[in-house]
Amino acid sequence: MVKVLANLCFLGSFLAFGLGTLGLFRFPDSYTRLHAVSMGDTLGVGLLGLGLMLLSPNWLLRLKLGAILLLFWLINPTMSHLVAKAGLLHGVKPVADTSVRKG
Amino acid sequence: MRKRSVLLFVLLLAFWTVLVGAVNWQLTLVGAFVALLTVWFWQDLGPRMPRLPSAWGLLRLGYALVLMVGWVIQANFTVAKTLLFSRPSAKPIFLLMEPNLRTNWGRVLFATCITITPGSVTVDVDPETGRFIVHALNHETGIDLLYWRLIDEIIYLENALADWTTLEAGEGDRHGMATGGPDRLGTSGSVAGHHRPYGS
Repeated sequence: MVKVLANLCFLGSFLAFGLGTLGLFRFPDSYTRLHAVSMGDTLGVGLLGLGLMLLSPNWLLRLKLGAILLLFWLINPTMSHLVAKAGLLHGVKPVADTSVRKG
Repeated sequence: MRKRSVLLFVLLLAFWTVLVGAVNWQLTLVGAFVALLTVWFWQDLGPRMPRLPSAWGLLRLGYALVLMVGWVIQANFTVAKTLLFSRPSAKPIFLLMEPNLRTNWGRVLFATCITITPGSVTVDVDPETGRFIVHALNHETGIDLLYWRLIDEIIYLENALADWTTLEAGEGDRHGMATGGPDRLGTSGSVAGHHRPYGS
């Protein structure tokens, strides 16, 4: 049963990464591609970690995987923000029909 | 200050112990040394770090993070739907918003939550005005951000833990927080910061 659940997690992770990769080709500019990649970085990595936790032989390993996931989810948005900000500051143009709105 | 240093030391030592996966005096000694060195190295940061939250504050923060997990999963499906079924694949938007967040930790938390949610990326945060520049994959995602319930959760935390932080908004630029520089979107001035929770 645990193996089935773990395999389902891996399948979900594979789909998330696959869709993220597809987004790299389909989305039109650097900014939108960041959104596609973030699917793999959140759901993909999360399901992969969950699957590995389910298959882990002991709690120490699960704790380590949890720490890795936590660090990943802290660092990843920071890096995405930096990439987007660097793009904006260096004049990377968004796709033509990008609009600007004050909220 | 001392309490925070001790807590940081204990957390670092616990993290070290989990990573090395064994408890013996040699490894613990090395871990304690590294943890002590790290605490000493970061002690200058102490006055600018948030104070220790109360148990209720931690619970409330945990509740907000649990809500975040649901929103992230939901956002993944939204982006996947846009990717697979929308023609054209995206109608992106740069959104300028000023949520009524007073503290820098609140703004950082909100910016991180925006970016970790697929479909939106925080491009810039101005620590002086509290203005966010967010890139969203489509208009709907952008509008949803304006009324995101998380804003209210963070405001609630800010109010409940009013003395949690020693760093008030506006000091971030002097403390290394990423600032905007020139306004690359060609917009300026104040932006209305009205927001309301979903469904209200």
